[in-house]
Amino acid sequence: MRRRAGALGVLSVLIVLALLVPRFGGDYYVHIFALVFTNVILAASLRPSLTCGQLNIGHSAFMSIGAYASALLAKNLAVPFELSLLGGAVLATLVGVVIGYPSLRLRGVYFAMVTVAFVEVIRLIAQLWVSLTRGMSGLSGIPKPNLLGMTLTTKAGQYYLGLALMLIVLLILWKLEHSRLGLIWKSIGMADNLAQSLGVDIARHKLLAFMLGCFFAGIAGAFYAHFIRFLFPPEFGFLMATNILVYNYVGGRGHFAGAIVGAIFLSLLSEPFRGSPYETIFFSIAMLLTILFLPGGLITLPEKLAGLRRWRAAAAPTPSPAA
Amino acid sequence: MPLLETRDLTRHFGGLAAVNHVDLTVEKGEIVGLIGPNGAGKTTCFNLLSGFLRPTAGSIAFDGEDITGRRPHQIAARGLVRTFQLTTLFQEMTALQNVLLGLHLHSGTGLRQLLFSRRDFPPDEVARGREALEFTGLAAHADQLTKNLPHGHQRVLGIAMALAARPRLLLLDEPVTGMNLDESGRVMDLVKTIRGHGTTILLVEHNMKAVMGTCERIVVLNFGQKLSEGTPSEVSTSRDVIQAYLGTGVNHA
Repeated sequence: MRRRAGALGVLSVLIVLALLVPRFGGDYYVHIFALVFTNVILAASLRPSLTCGQLNIGHSAFMSIGAYASALLAKNLAVPFELSLLGGAVLATLVGVVIGYPSLRLRGVYFAMVTVAFVEVIRLIAQLWVSLTRGMSGLSGIPKPNLLGMTLTTKAGQYYLGLALMLIVLLILWKLEHSRLGLIWKSIGMADNLAQSLGVDIARHKLLAFMLGCFFAGIAGAFYAHFIRFLFPPEFGFLMATNILVYNYVGGRGHFAGAIVGAIFLSLLSEPFRGSPYETIFFSIAMLLTILFLPGGLITLPEKLAGLRRWRAAAAPTPSPAA
Repeated sequence: MPLLETRDLTRHFGGLAAVNHVDLTVEKGEIVGLIGPNGAGKTTCFNLLSGFLRPTAGSIAFDGEDITGRRPHQIAARGLVRTFQLTTLFQEMTALQNVLLGLHLHSGTGLRQLLFSRRDFPPDEVARGREALEFTGLAAHADQLTKNLPHGHQRVLGIAMALAARPRLLLLDEPVTGMNLDESGRVMDLVKTIRGHGTTILLVEHNMKAVMGTCERIVVLNFGQKLSEGTPSEVSTSRDVIQAYLGTGVNHA
């Protein structure tokens, strides 16, 4: 309970800070932080599947589907943003069911290989279906997001929309993870045979966790599309999918906050390298350092430091009795 | 009508018949022991009954219904619940969370509870979980991480979880292996209490003292086949059984 209160305190401070960014930061920071919000949604939405023990290295594919679907609905059919956002998320979920239903019976590395192949397939479709997606010329002219008929013309307005979307998604995912459903995901990840013997339909729950991830990745993609207003197929490739995974591992998989911490920390730190070859190197180094020094991720850092301090305190005041 | 009845139950692994034409019946309210030397097919038998393996041939009926080929969670939902050898538990969860998962089959958690309730779990479910821990003597350890519990407690927790699923037939796979005399005595008492509450029990165990002292009927498997069946005294004096465990005697000239 006390830990929960502490987490709520930290969260409120962060939200207040986030609300102040457009006021005191320039457009540059507004832009960067709005991208951080999409990364947080992506990282957190991968958790249900990861908790079930499913290594999904193709999450960016569902973001891509949500982004293109919402953009095309809005651009070609003048669908309002609320509906195109939902449409993108629903399409991402439907595709998720088609790909997930047959492959969720696969375990470990075999499932991971399917997701890797899938992310490439989606990228190639976006690249080659030129009549629909404009292929490598990129899809431009995506309308700005609108809410209840009002277009959010300023970057700041769109930023607040992203913040609100992120908070809603996080609230839903947090609530689910701490409910019976979350306990079931954890049980499947730890010992799926025992879960089955207690009556858990593991195939159904794995699919449900996977679908949730697809839905929210679709939301993140739709927001991204209407915020950046330009979609380019290679952006949603294998690299972004592994980045989403790395957010989770570097942040720490043992706690819901891990995905959030990892996504914020790495997106901000990797900002100078974005789009350059150094980005890959940066993420690889972050992953290696985590595995070597903080296997529990960044969220275990305070615990580790406290342990270190206790150890120092115990070691320091013991001068030899002779002295 | 027997609670559990297998006919010609057979499972091949390649050329090996791990379970071979086994007819097994368990009546309501019994405690039945399934014993046999290592490799006799006991665990395969359990995996077949609980749906983790599909039989190559033969059928399994539970309470009159054919459950052959059903998936594990479907079998558990019908009231046939198993435990696992050693400590297959959710190690990174608390004891109470383990039991709450056992309640899975009997929880009516809807979307409203999942998203809009202030509590993570409905209070009546938590109460039922604590009850199951109380019943098995683990109430004091409810909020400890499972991996920090001593071995004996972990084994009992496995039983508590299975009980939370409200089985009509409980399959216990080596419930007292690795326990000292005192602990195994307590677990066998627990087994009798569970039966006293109306749950039928089929157990696999190598500890002969525990088996002989608890079971009313014993089925002996050897090389996948039923070798003998009867009361503990009948089985323990059967020449076939003694030969299976100790080998054939050497004839001294």
